[in-house]
Amino acid sequence: MPIFFRLKIFPAILALSALMTGFSLPVAAEDFNLAGLVRRVEQQYTGQSSISRVEMDVVTGHWERHLTMESWSLGRERFLIRILSPAKEKGVATLKVEREVWNFLPKVDRVIRIPPSMMGGAWMGSHITNDDLVKANHIDEDYHFTLLAETAEQWTIEGIPRPDAPVIWGKIIYQVRKEPLVPIQIEYYDEEGVLVRRILFDDVQTIGERTVPLRMTVLPLEKPDEKTVMHYRDLQFDVELSEDFFSLAELKRRR
Amino acid sequence: MLYQLALRNIWRNRRRTLLTLSAMVVSSALLILSLGIFSGMLYDMLASATEQYYGHMVISAKGYQDDRDMFLNFSLTTPLEQQLERKEILGYSPRLRGFGLLSHDQESAPGEILGVKPALERGVTGLADALTAGSYLETGDRNGVVLGSGLARRLKVVPGDELVFVTQAADGSVGNDLLEVRGIFTTGDVGHDNALALVPLPWLQNVIALPERIHEIAVRTDQPLNVAALAREFRARLPSGLEILDWGEMLPEMREVVASYDVSRLIIVIILYIATALGILNTFFMSVMERTREFGVLMAIGMKPGQVRRMVLLETFFMGSLALVCGVLLGLGLSLYMAEVGIDLSGTLTPITYAGGTILPRLHAVIEPGNVYIPASCLLVISLLAGFLPANRAARMQPVVAIRED
Amino acid sequence: MALIELKTVSKIYTLGSQEVIAVKDFSLQLEKGEFCVLAGPSGSGKTTLLNLIGCLDQPSAGEVWLEGRNVATVPAKELAAIRLNKIGFIFQSYNLIPVLTAAENAEFTLMLQGMDKKVRREKVRRWFVDLGLEGLEERKPSDLSGGQQQRVAIARAMASDPAVILADEPTANLDSQTSEELLAVMQRLNEERGATFVFSSHDPLVIAHGKRVVRLVDGHLESDQCVS
Repeated sequence: MPIFFRLKIFPAILALSALMTGFSLPVAAEDFNLAGLVRRVEQQYTGQSSISRVEMDVVTGHWERHLTMESWSLGRERFLIRILSPAKEKGVATLKVEREVWNFLPKVDRVIRIPPSMMGGAWMGSHITNDDLVKANHIDEDYHFTLLAETAEQWTIEGIPRPDAPVIWGKIIYQVRKEPLVPIQIEYYDEEGVLVRRILFDDVQTIGERTVPLRMTVLPLEKPDEKTVMHYRDLQFDVELSEDFFSLAELKRRR
Repeated sequence: MLYQLALRNIWRNRRRTLLTLSAMVVSSALLILSLGIFSGMLYDMLASATEQYYGHMVISAKGYQDDRDMFLNFSLTTPLEQQLERKEILGYSPRLRGFGLLSHDQESAPGEILGVKPALERGVTGLADALTAGSYLETGDRNGVVLGSGLARRLKVVPGDELVFVTQAADGSVGNDLLEVRGIFTTGDVGHDNALALVPLPWLQNVIALPERIHEIAVRTDQPLNVAALAREFRARLPSGLEILDWGEMLPEMREVVASYDVSRLIIVIILYIATALGILNTFFMSVMERTREFGVLMAIGMKPGQVRRMVLLETFFMGSLALVCGVLLGLGLSLYMAEVGIDLSGTLTPITYAGGTILPRLHAVIEPGNVYIPASCLLVISLLAGFLPANRAARMQPVVAIRED
Repeated sequence: MALIELKTVSKIYTLGSQEVIAVKDFSLQLEKGEFCVLAGPSGSGKTTLLNLIGCLDQPSAGEVWLEGRNVATVPAKELAAIRLNKIGFIFQSYNLIPVLTAAENAEFTLMLQGMDKKVRREKVRRWFVDLGLEGLEERKPSDLSGGQQQRVAIARAMASDPAVILADEPTANLDSQTSEELLAVMQRLNEERGATFVFSSHDPLVIAHGKRVVRLVDGHLESDQCVS
């Protein structure tokens, strides 16, 4: 009798960082390569820092909810996000430092470390899973990329897992716009080759020197009525943040 | 007089008869004992699955048991409660189930949380008797938890420690609250010992935002092996949207194990008795051949071949009956001892979970009528069969030839 | 009509590839009330003749008639009944059933005849008195002397009121005094009750008691003398 863990907590961090890892910076023709391009799409934020306010709408067959959160990131390995509303969950926060993920639960005033076995769960009841997040950090290393199609406006890139790579997807197809350099759509196929999830990007804005799509819509295709929409507000890049900021003490701070 | 003659003939060669008898007695007694132990394993298996977790039958919303979708829940209504009040039902327990993360200090582990009413749950599952530390939940306990030993080990908790449970509630929010460890149980079923935790029903209803709702009603009946008929009766009267599953439907492999038991029992009996039958056959052939001249005389003075055959068969029948009585008594005695005391093997063996149930590392007998009368009647049949060949041999003797024999 | 009539009877046994002629073209008539000894050395065919008379064996040629009936025409199943009701056997080595008491041994044929328990008890009791076996009823054969065992065998043979009693070397295992007593008993039964006795023997004592002595040599009738 399989036990289905429907726990929908945390680690969508990857997807978040994907979003925040700005998709800007035109690529110089000479250093064009596909893995590099995907890396820019997935983790262009590496080495950068950001502060943002995020609104997340989750629609499922049973409920809809609207969350506002504030988040901080530093490089690809440090990440903190805290719920501002609704009031019931105000202060619930997630900290990711390298491979470790912690949650803070203000109601019981406890910090919980997420064990590796729970990385497969979803985050905040959204359609973004933990595994996406941790593994997407290394997508450029775990997959082999080929250019499927190229038009004047965009590239279509296919990612196939390298042998022995610890991945959960059977295939990933990126559609990336050339100018400005932003992703339009990412499609995820399972190991049987079935398309199971699609992420759409829009509301492309230029923040400082970067151009990024501020809205990300995650569509779980096996549940056509459900979706998660993350919308970035007040996104700032290259802010003053040190590694010390991403600590358990900061995780537990109530605002 | 034929009976007396047969009876006295049995005791002519006392040592041989006693040896044969003891072989028959010991083989049937051991057979009864081993079948009892076999039944014991089967019952342990069935009990671990039903009496430590599922119950004999479960009422739940249609489809809930397929993938445990938390939204397939219902309310325990008064008519439903009344329907459950009947003599075949020894107890029923409304439950709410949540899956989430349990955490203590630096440790955390996924767990299956059952919200129960402690007094009612005790009437269905025997987890209260499987406690290895602390105590069971009390009625009125607000935030106690009783959890499996493997889970407790992973979380490094002992009774009195505090646990955090986090899950996604039915409204999508992050449900979380504190629990206090009351007790730790060890069932032998690794799946349950490593993941299962029992909490008060209202506590879980609150945390996963399903007030007044339950996922299932686990039912314990007085006839676990005949539960299908009762389930059928209930099915007709259940409110729409609800279904009732007996353990055979929840655990089809277990049902097959039980069904195959009757067949395998017979096969074991036959195999074991073939050896015994050869021994009896040998003894009776010897005893008939030794008496060749006597059979010749008996037939010379007018005994009919049919009477001779009957006499030899009577001898085997008496011996079989005697062995049967002694074997059954000895077998029952041994089984009774193994049922009451048993042998603990947990030092050398670990529990085996199979077909949804757990075979505990102990030798423990369950006395079932079939485990006694099948070996007993087979013993009688084989002693008559083993007697038939020598009896025929005796009946076919030529008196003239036989009398000349020394 | 003779009680027993043997009409040119022959009996040939096959021993391996050898054919042994036990009895050859032998004819004899026995009447009711006879006290007849078939005498001859061992191997002369006297036991074979007793077996043929006792319906234990069938002749290879010729016919055996018992009370006017050709034994060869009797179905095999009925032969046991004929032996039970018409013939009493006394064997050289007594052949009592070791697990039964003396009285039970004597009762055995009556039990096979289906006689009521009480009636057969009483009958056997009287035979025991007659044969001087009183007080030995509950003894097992192994606790009896040879003579006593043979008397029990006589009781067993007589109890069923047979037409003829066949005694095969009845004194061979007994000393001469016991033999004498036993023969006296049988003679008395012959004289008082008219019981028919046919002996096979080479014991001069038995032959001396015979009222008719039929001598056999190599399966042939040598002489047939009536002594009076």
